[in-house]
Amino acid sequence: MSRRVAVKTVLWGVVGALAVVTVARFWRGLGAVTNLSDAAPWGLWVAFDVMSGVALAAGGFTLAATVHIFHLKRFHAFARPAILTAFLGYTAVVVGLLYDLGLPWHIWHPILYPQDRSALFEVAMCVMLYLTVLAIEFAPVVLEHSLFDRPLLRGIHRWLEKYALVFIIAGIVLSTLHQSSLGSLFLIAPGRLNPLWYTPLLPVLYFVSAVGLGLMMVLTESNVSAWLFGHEVPSKARAGLGLAAAWVLLLYVALRLGDLALRGKLALAFAGTGAAGLFWFELSVTALVPMSLCFIRPVRESRVGLSLASGLTILGVVGYRFDTAIVAYARPAGASYFPSWMEIVVSLGIVSLAVLAFLFFTEHLHVFDEPPAAELPPPRPQPLSHRVLPRPLGWLRGYSLALVLGTTVAFALLPRRVLTPDLARPVPALKAMAVDGWMRARPDKLHDIGVLRPGEPVPLGATPAALLVLDGDRDWRRVIFPHAFHEWLVGPNGLRLRWRRGEAASLSSTASGEQSGRSGCATCHHANLPLERNSACASCHRDMFSTTDLFDHQAHVVALRGRDGCTRCHANSALPKTRATSTPCLHCHKNLRLADSYLKPKPTLTGLVPGYEQAMHGLCVECHRREVKEHPDRYPAQLATCATCHRAPEKSLMQRLEPYAAR
Amino acid sequence: MTTLLAFARGPLFLFCFAFMVLGLLRHVLLTTWEIRRVQRRAGDPSLPRKALFRATLRWLVPLDKLREQTLFTGTSILFHVGVLLVPLFLAGHIALSARGTGLKWPALPNTAADVLTIVSVIAGVALFTLRLSLRATRSLSRPLDFALPLLVALPIATGFFVMHPALDPFGFRAMLLVHVLSADLVMLLMPLTKLVHAVLLPGTQVLSEIGWHWPADSGSRVAAALGKEEEPV
Repeated sequence: MSRRVAVKTVLWGVVGALAVVTVARFWRGLGAVTNLSDAAPWGLWVAFDVMSGVALAAGGFTLAATVHIFHLKRFHAFARPAILTAFLGYTAVVVGLLYDLGLPWHIWHPILYPQDRSALFEVAMCVMLYLTVLAIEFAPVVLEHSLFDRPLLRGIHRWLEKYALVFIIAGIVLSTLHQSSLGSLFLIAPGRLNPLWYTPLLPVLYFVSAVGLGLMMVLTESNVSAWLFGHEVPSKARAGLGLAAAWVLLLYVALRLGDLALRGKLALAFAGTGAAGLFWFELSVTALVPMSLCFIRPVRESRVGLSLASGLTILGVVGYRFDTAIVAYARPAGASYFPSWMEIVVSLGIVSLAVLAFLFFTEHLHVFDEPPAAELPPPRPQPLSHRVLPRPLGWLRGYSLALVLGTTVAFALLPRRVLTPDLARPVPALKAMAVDGWMRARPDKLHDIGVLRPGEPVPLGATPAALLVLDGDRDWRRVIFPHAFHEWLVGPNGLRLRWRRGEAASLSSTASGEQSGRSGCATCHHANLPLERNSACASCHRDMFSTTDLFDHQAHVVALRGRDGCTRCHANSALPKTRATSTPCLHCHKNLRLADSYLKPKPTLTGLVPGYEQAMHGLCVECHRREVKEHPDRYPAQLATCATCHRAPEKSLMQRLEPYAAR
Repeated sequence: MTTLLAFARGPLFLFCFAFMVLGLLRHVLLTTWEIRRVQRRAGDPSLPRKALFRATLRWLVPLDKLREQTLFTGTSILFHVGVLLVPLFLAGHIALSARGTGLKWPALPNTAADVLTIVSVIAGVALFTLRLSLRATRSLSRPLDFALPLLVALPIATGFFVMHPALDPFGFRAMLLVHVLSADLVMLLMPLTKLVHAVLLPGTQVLSEIGWHWPADSGSRVAAALGKEEEPV
């Protein structure tokens, strides 16, 4: 297996994984596949695919300027591959952006709805136009192919070659504009970007680093294709590019440090903080080390030295983009961000596709100064009789196997939230908090309710009452539930619902303990967990919205002593062993549901209970409705409406509740 | 063991199942493509469709071979019937599919599944023994050929005990783990070994029919290669 086949096999594997994540991303949305949040809306895809992608494709305009504007013809061999890389790089940027945009089908909106004061608008327009220009610049290479040898296409080809310079100049202008504007994006965030990175010079730094990186990218690309194809590029031309890159990097270092010094921020770089360490590390990898290497003649004339220098600069400039976009960008405390594996797969997969496209073009078109290099060596002359058989499918078998393998590994690793459509984000239900309070009858037959700080006296005309504060999903929209009052209502010995306004005075929080009678509590507390009485709502309805499964299979396997016990629940061995075909819980657990509760026990109960919200509404609303219907004289119709429980919050409620939470 | 079982039933199962489906699909696509290439190369698009269809059916249900190799063919047919029907139409498997994906289809009665299970396990062991005991088959076989019938019989045999925990000598969870892991292995190996015949077998008749189509001028080319252009065939 040749190097190229090995590389391509790996790339196809990554593309397979990309296919799976792509389906997940566009089917389930950003939340299902990324670790992005409102606090960290820009992540890997912005920092790598867009910011770094644009910078990594800077070789196109740099080389176009070198060869066609400054007429340095000895670098001609680099120009075509550099333009191809730029074209594929910008395509990758746009594809990456489609993944990152919440509404990717709106990507064309900047054209019709321009925001003329936005740096991002300028970037969007420049990237669109420059991608078009790159396509035009690269078109002659495609049109050279014998497949397009038609009169009309030949005419277009000639026209493009004649006016090539116009497009080359347009490309350079557009690149200069948006390479720097990517830096301008962060000018609006002086408070959030670390001062070692924030500077009014950000656009200039972005542009200069992109030029240095562009030159180094061209070198890397020639190294890699030399490694893959066995090409040789004159080492003198390579050394020349290396030296040019070193000067650009020197300018970058001077600008970066000089700017800090002029603005009086240089001391921060020596403060010994983590940020200072990162700053120096990034600057060394980007510029200090590679530039020093390139200034030494024997190093820049050796392939290893130049590979090392260019590799370091690539890492460093990508790191610079990451630092400004993610690492050195302040976020609310606790809102950390690290990309999910699926985000990483998308970034790697798009690069893999671009590399595969690059290899395809170089194998079939005249990209290098040498003729296209076919993947397989030309067939040796064979005896005539053998030519009857077709040539084998080549490495297609290996590539397709890699594709299948990548796809399946990614599929198996997909998180459950992607595969299971109705799986809501878990919101564990918060147990109710017991607080002291008061109640006061109102003329409309309802009551005012209030929370008391510990030790605070009851307001005039009100009755003390033990309350529960309900906020199952902790969204601060609380329901104050008068527990003692309901205890009294459903009271002992079937004294259910004998509440009249005149009896309000007899309510007190101390009386509730004695009044919690035998049958009364079961009205609402319809189920008891093992060895419990009056289990709290949230102990079974454990999630705010999702169904809770209370059944513990393993506990039953242990309790029923293994395999012989299976038939206790799975009585009929001819049926599949599912929840629906098993013996209901109530068959053995006679006291699980209480007979005299408002909710009548279901004989088919198998351990699935509704979410907290549904349970609360189901019980409270239904009971209120029934009481209004049965006793219209005692209760106003209002009792069965939302506002009875969900009342406008009292402004000082947080302060009143605080001491209880501290206890 | 809980973690291992969850892994074998969760991500590992998904991986093996998807690998089986896509891997088999890859074989079908590559083979179809190869057939098309060979057909185009031969320059003879005509195919005896009716005869091909009949030959395919005869090889898919080789009842007529029972007369020649009664023991071998009979055992093999019994083995294949169980291996194909039980995993696909077991009520428990369908219930798992309904829970995970919502897809349901009619199930075999559990008693029929039990009978088929026992028959196919016995047939699997018999296939192994027959292959080992006859000199002709022994000399044709590689190690994997001996292993595959036993490997395919393993999830079936363990599946029987999972269905009947009362008969299980080892314990439900250990048995379930072996069942799931061995089934995962079989699914993983399907596109990589001879088990691929599960999807490619129906095409073999077409393949061999087209494989023996020669280009129109192949006779003269053979003659040229042999240096006997002047001689009559």
